[in-house]
Amino acid sequence: MSISRKQKGKRRQELLGTIYSVAIYTILYIPVFVMMMFSFNNQRYNYYWNGFTTQWYAKLFNNSAVIGSLWYSVVIAVLATVISVTIGTIGALGLKKYEFRGKKFINNMLYIPIIVPEIVMAVALLIIFIKIGLSLGMGTILIGHCTFCIPYAVVTIKGRISGDGYSLEEASMDLGANRIKTFLNVTLPSIMPGVMSAAFLSFTLSIDDVVMSNMLAGAKNSTLPVLILSMNKTGVTPDVNALTTIMILFIVIAMILNNFIRNALKKRAKMEENI
Amino acid sequence: MKKLISMLLISVLIMGLFTGCGSSTDSAKGGNAEPSTELNIYMWQQYISDDLIVEFEKDNNAKVNLSYMSDNADAITKLTAGGGQEYDLIMTCDAYMESLVEGGYVEKINFENIPNAKNINESYWTAKEYCVPYLMNYIYIVYNKDTSPVEIKSYNDLINPALKGQIASIDGARNLFPIALVALGYDPNSINENEIAEAYEWLVKYNDNVVAYGNAEQNLTNGTASVAFTYDGNASWAMSELGDKNNLVIADFEKDPVQLGFDLYVVPKGARHVDLAEKFLNYITDPEVMAANLVEYPYSCPNDAAVEAASDDYKNDPARDFAYKENVFFQKDVGNVITIYNDYYQKLKVGE
Amino acid sequence: MQKNTFKRKTLPSLAMAGPVSLWMILFVTLPMLYIIYISFMSRGVFGDVVYKFSLESYETLLDSTYFKVILKSIKAAFVTTVLCILIGYPFAYYIAKKPKEVASKLIMLIMIPFWTNSLMRLNSWLLLFQTSGPVNNFLLSTGFIDTPMSFVYTDGLVMVGMITNMLPFAVLPMYSSIEKLSRSLLEASADLGASGRTTFFNITLPLTFPGIFSSIILVFIPSLGIYTVTDMLGGGKVLYIGNIIKNQFGSIRNWPLGAALSVLLIVITGLLIYIYTRFAKIEDMEVL
Repeated sequence: MSISRKQKGKRRQELLGTIYSVAIYTILYIPVFVMMMFSFNNQRYNYYWNGFTTQWYAKLFNNSAVIGSLWYSVVIAVLATVISVTIGTIGALGLKKYEFRGKKFINNMLYIPIIVPEIVMAVALLIIFIKIGLSLGMGTILIGHCTFCIPYAVVTIKGRISGDGYSLEEASMDLGANRIKTFLNVTLPSIMPGVMSAAFLSFTLSIDDVVMSNMLAGAKNSTLPVLILSMNKTGVTPDVNALTTIMILFIVIAMILNNFIRNALKKRAKMEENI
Repeated sequence: MKKLISMLLISVLIMGLFTGCGSSTDSAKGGNAEPSTELNIYMWQQYISDDLIVEFEKDNNAKVNLSYMSDNADAITKLTAGGGQEYDLIMTCDAYMESLVEGGYVEKINFENIPNAKNINESYWTAKEYCVPYLMNYIYIVYNKDTSPVEIKSYNDLINPALKGQIASIDGARNLFPIALVALGYDPNSINENEIAEAYEWLVKYNDNVVAYGNAEQNLTNGTASVAFTYDGNASWAMSELGDKNNLVIADFEKDPVQLGFDLYVVPKGARHVDLAEKFLNYITDPEVMAANLVEYPYSCPNDAAVEAASDDYKNDPARDFAYKENVFFQKDVGNVITIYNDYYQKLKVGE
Repeated sequence: MQKNTFKRKTLPSLAMAGPVSLWMILFVTLPMLYIIYISFMSRGVFGDVVYKFSLESYETLLDSTYFKVILKSIKAAFVTTVLCILIGYPFAYYIAKKPKEVASKLIMLIMIPFWTNSLMRLNSWLLLFQTSGPVNNFLLSTGFIDTPMSFVYTDGLVMVGMITNMLPFAVLPMYSSIEKLSRSLLEASADLGASGRTTFFNITLPLTFPGIFSSIILVFIPSLGIYTVTDMLGGGKVLYIGNIIKNQFGSIRNWPLGAALSVLLIVITGLLIYIYTRFAKIEDMEVL
């Protein structure tokens, strides 16, 4: 009797949770759907809904500037993610495991890019780059992005390192594995979830960054967010919406494909096991 | 091991990025003997016809790199931070010219190479040796004659409480304070603190009536605002967007002057491709070229010959059809008094 | 022997902590020192930095305007943080209780909207709610209202924008700490007769406190410096500390004052975190 009531309550809780989460996802996705809808808006700038058209998709394929800047943003975001996660992973391990002079200082420094408004870091970096004669471009944007991605990466990964990892590492080394082997086979898998979320966070921060990119960009290329920001005098043209729509569709398709392949691999592995 | 290799690859790649950038700009350095093949321009987005750029590239066998600012301050930051390293032409506005020249941030322009510059109306030209005016903006009042509760004939009408939450306004201390100063009967570029303080009080009332700063066209066309304090170019977009349903009219000012500002090109100190920059300036001041540009971007233009050559649509644009075009004032450098303006501006926006 | 310690201890610590330390010193410490340095310089006529010692910027900070702005910003960031935590915790809890496979997908689903441009996302809210927008048209057509409602440029819409912008930063850390909770512990509590509520308040909540702590920091600090949301959805009528600093480096061009404001912001944030960790009895910031 009491068990069934408990189960009933559990089921009701589950249902409430689902409704709640669907509501949250809806709110998070409303702006994205509006953005997609306005990619079909028949108006020079998106001021209000003015009828259906597909002309912006046609324009998109004739206008390489917008696509070029998306590509530039993606390349920067991927590189920034790889660099930040690499430095962040070994850095988090090093900062957790070893004691050295100045460690506390470095730990505090890691909070600065999170605290300080981005514009301050951006201006300071710009002046320093110009003083040492570094030419502005992808390299300087990358440095800027990594500077705020690394702290997030270190913080996220550090949270995942647990104390008992060390004994496993030692065991591995006792068994004759060298440091690099141990790192790749023992340490890395144990912190993988943290590394993944660090990568997610870095990519997200970099792909949508506008302040650093705006300050540190050179004359030749600009990232998509900078291009969009510079449209603020007149308004954003719907071809940018079209580009975003394609991007989202691309991500969704990639996710579904990924899921599909994984399931297929799993099935095969199971079948092989059975044999 | 794989990881090590990939890390190595990445570091090589990064090195490549820097050396790559460095060498390409160096080798492109323009001398007298060999014409430059690359031109780097920093300006507003949606402000010059792509077709014209392509044509210029073809004519001069050169590559034009356009990059865009989002704020006038961006251009100043680039200029003062040694912009000549990166850019050959930077767009800025007349109000900054005096200080830019004084600070030595811009190169003198050799007008012998820019014969077309004679088309530009002299009366719209400050710091003549250092810049070439491109397009210009009146900052005036437009309103929706059907929904605005007030018929606007002066700046003082804007602080009428009936307009509460009705105005879409441009932002910035040096755009807002002049209209208050004019409304109070003072010099729009006043350097008298008492007058500025009075203007602040006026703006507090104005601020109450403002629904939003920025987005004027959007808010006018979608009905959020019934009055806008904005650029004539933006009003032009809003009017053409509404088309036959256009019910926006330009405020019929009787006495008050409106602000007129220029967007102009300067050559930053140490620019590398001056020869091509001059060719570009001569190209864009050509009446036919500019007239073609005005079809796509129908802004007010200081190039008289180009306006003459422009299409009828351009000449009959209702956004430029107002009687007091000559009754204008310019934004002037106010020196250190700017900090007083800024203090009051912040006070205005912070409120109580 | 000494060589051995070098190989066993110094070398690996150098190799592992070296890159991150070098990066932080080069690209954070140096720029920050420069910012502190120019905060003590004076402003040139043209907003350039004149390298002459002056306390002018710090004297300006004593003006009550800045005090008001800072209080206002802290208040707004506080409200955002509280709402994000309250809304985010049940959400994180729901995701964490799903099987790992599903949970990772749900987390990914939170991140995807953030790969699109934030300015355009904010503009979407305007397009949706503006006077002639779909929401107003719908309400008008159904006869709920006679004249369009003014949703845009209100505090409510600003809050919607803030929360949708900051929610992932609240959800991610709370999710990982709830997920770490061992199921057996909760089951044991239930078996011992504790009600769902008792279990939650006595076990789940205290054990996930580190996650909540991280969420608070990750939401509160960026909210303190954010300005795009209030600019776009609030119509730029109200300035926060982020706007003021941005303006000093941008349109107003008073870098020494901007630098002094940044230093002040760092000090205030540091102080708040310090008080908070003391209050919450958290020894080490590493829980983040």
